[in-house]
Amino acid sequence: MEKNILKKDHVRPFLRKLARNSRLIAPLRTSHGDLLYQEIESIDSSEIDLSEQPQESAKQFLFPQQEQLFTYQSTSNGFTFSPRKSGMPTVLFGLRSCDISAILYMDVIFLRSPRDHYYLQKRKDTIIIGIGCNEPWDNCFCNATRTGPFLEIGFDLQLTDLGDRFYVESGRAVGDEILKKWPQFFSPVTDEDEKLRYQLMLEARSGFKRHVHVETAFQKIADNSVSPSVWEHLARRCDGCGGCAYICPTCTCFTIFDRPLSPHTGERLRTWDACTHDGFTRMAGGHNPVNTATDRLKRRFMHKLYFDYKQFNRPGCVGCGRCVGICFGGVDIAMFVDMVCAEKRDQRQNATVIGDLLIEAGLITRKQLYKALEKRDRTGMPLGNILMEMGIVTKEDIANCLADKVERP
Amino acid sequence: MMETGTMRESMRNAVTDNVFMPNETVISEIIEENSTIRTYTLRFTDRAAAFSFLPGQFVMLSVPGHGEAPISISSSPTSTDAIQLSVRRAGRLTSALHSMKAGEYVAVRGPYGVPFPVDELKGRDLLFVAGGIGLAPLRSLINYCRAKNGEYGKITLCYGSRSPSDIAFKNDLDAWQADGSVDVRLTVDVPERGWQGRTGLVTTLLDDLTINNSNSSALLCGPPVMIDAVISKLKESGMDSEQIITTLERNMKCGVGLCGHCHMEGVLICKDGPVFNVRTLENIMGATG
Repeated sequence: MEKNILKKDHVRPFLRKLARNSRLIAPLRTSHGDLLYQEIESIDSSEIDLSEQPQESAKQFLFPQQEQLFTYQSTSNGFTFSPRKSGMPTVLFGLRSCDISAILYMDVIFLRSPRDHYYLQKRKDTIIIGIGCNEPWDNCFCNATRTGPFLEIGFDLQLTDLGDRFYVESGRAVGDEILKKWPQFFSPVTDEDEKLRYQLMLEARSGFKRHVHVETAFQKIADNSVSPSVWEHLARRCDGCGGCAYICPTCTCFTIFDRPLSPHTGERLRTWDACTHDGFTRMAGGHNPVNTATDRLKRRFMHKLYFDYKQFNRPGCVGCGRCVGICFGGVDIAMFVDMVCAEKRDQRQNATVIGDLLIEAGLITRKQLYKALEKRDRTGMPLGNILMEMGIVTKEDIANCLADKVERP
Repeated sequence: MMETGTMRESMRNAVTDNVFMPNETVISEIIEENSTIRTYTLRFTDRAAAFSFLPGQFVMLSVPGHGEAPISISSSPTSTDAIQLSVRRAGRLTSALHSMKAGEYVAVRGPYGVPFPVDELKGRDLLFVAGGIGLAPLRSLINYCRAKNGEYGKITLCYGSRSPSDIAFKNDLDAWQADGSVDVRLTVDVPERGWQGRTGLVTTLLDDLTINNSNSSALLCGPPVMIDAVISKLKESGMDSEQIITTLERNMKCGVGLCGHCHMEGVLICKDGPVFNVRTLENIMGATG
């Protein structure tokens, strides 16, 4: 794919051409000092700010927080439903690698069968120009989720900040076309540029302040060796506010509802929803299959770090670290992973050895073991006693099992 | 300039491509099943929007102004060009529906979900176990099997209700008993004056039956506690968990695997279900303890 140099002076005229008939989204500083991806009304009077990771992802521009699906009108002859035309060409400029990776994740969710019409309409005419991160921020861990700090795929163009200029690489045919269409803004890459970029990429990779062992956590979940006390601890600290889901660039759950606008007209809307809300799974009549905060958090973290991993071979987390910043209870993915990985092994290790021996001997099932471990963590009783109390094994079973394994002098 | 016919067709494609767009139907008949359950016969006003389905599938029912809810189809695909939905008054949308009259309009989209395995069930004796509104999706399959004269074995229904006056689908129960197509057995939790029938949980009805496990399948739908009890009972009596089939109810907003509400242990109930055999369910639940 094509490589070029774009002088920083040329960014504004370049975007003026590129986004002439599109909505242009880029990071802008608000009057409150927040850095947010925003729609740029006038490229000439806006100062695009690529100095930091924006506080929100670009999720809202393809999957808005609230979106009209259609309007309805009722007459004596029935209903008229008028779908909303939701497409518009868009240029997303200055996206961080995590935020681009999140769009790739949303593509998988929304463009499977059946495709989400409203997402597709916006996504199909979207140009993505990303920027690699020369310096990871305090909460970032995209190195652990393999979604940064620089990307190999997913962008149309990717920039690297070389000081007074950007190194520009194209990742798709669309990117090549852009570079060819406006050659006046680009100049060839020199050996020095290549070297400098390589150097910056290396430094970025070694600049992470957090080490979040996402894959270890996945393994421990897969081995069923997460102590229930981890979920319970997190649940005690969760207020169910949904902030983590709203800020999360890969959280795509939504709810649908109608808003009447007059006695005979109204609109059907969808809006972001969060699995930490207690009403998320509650049904009419009141039954709720995911009824406790513990179950809800378990479901949330398992979805992102286990089921997505199993299904897509990568976690449903892009390591942006934003949930770390937003949760005042500390109930974020990084905390969960840290807790899972830091769990005390001693008592647990012994317990699971006995448990595994009993499973191997066909005396208990993994599910029974898990239940017993749960009780063990709650009561502090020895695992063997719990299994005996549950009436699953006898003292002799345990003794025989251990005797088989213990080497005698 | 596009020719009118083609334009209309391309517009329709644009709309049908959009899974969120519902199709208008008119309520042509309402059957009062009990004090809280009514069966609505819905006819598509645009015949081109009518769809084919199989028992066990559901639709997203729209009452514009009140939103949408997943409702299983309670009629058999063999019956007419309309569909029936049996709806218990439980929340906002269903209350709005219950206040509507024949001739009024609602909308549906679908059909969604995995149906009952109607081909694999051929030739087998079928034991239906239902509680309350749970008979709705099973009613579709029972009538389907009855219409496929001789393709299915003996049909037995064990149906539990809260009280005798709560017994729903009486017209169906009577018709099934009258033509002998279904061996109907009833029980209630709380008897009322004059009730001569059985009292107790639906599981007690199972004690009366001799089930030929090698050639029987069970189809269950009802409250979760009932389902759990019936599953243990059937497994105890030697039925293979693969032959115990149930259909799950979940909060669903889209019905097509996008909204995330019905996600359960890596499975989407709306797309991968709602019909599951118990072996599959145990594997799903057992995957993570």
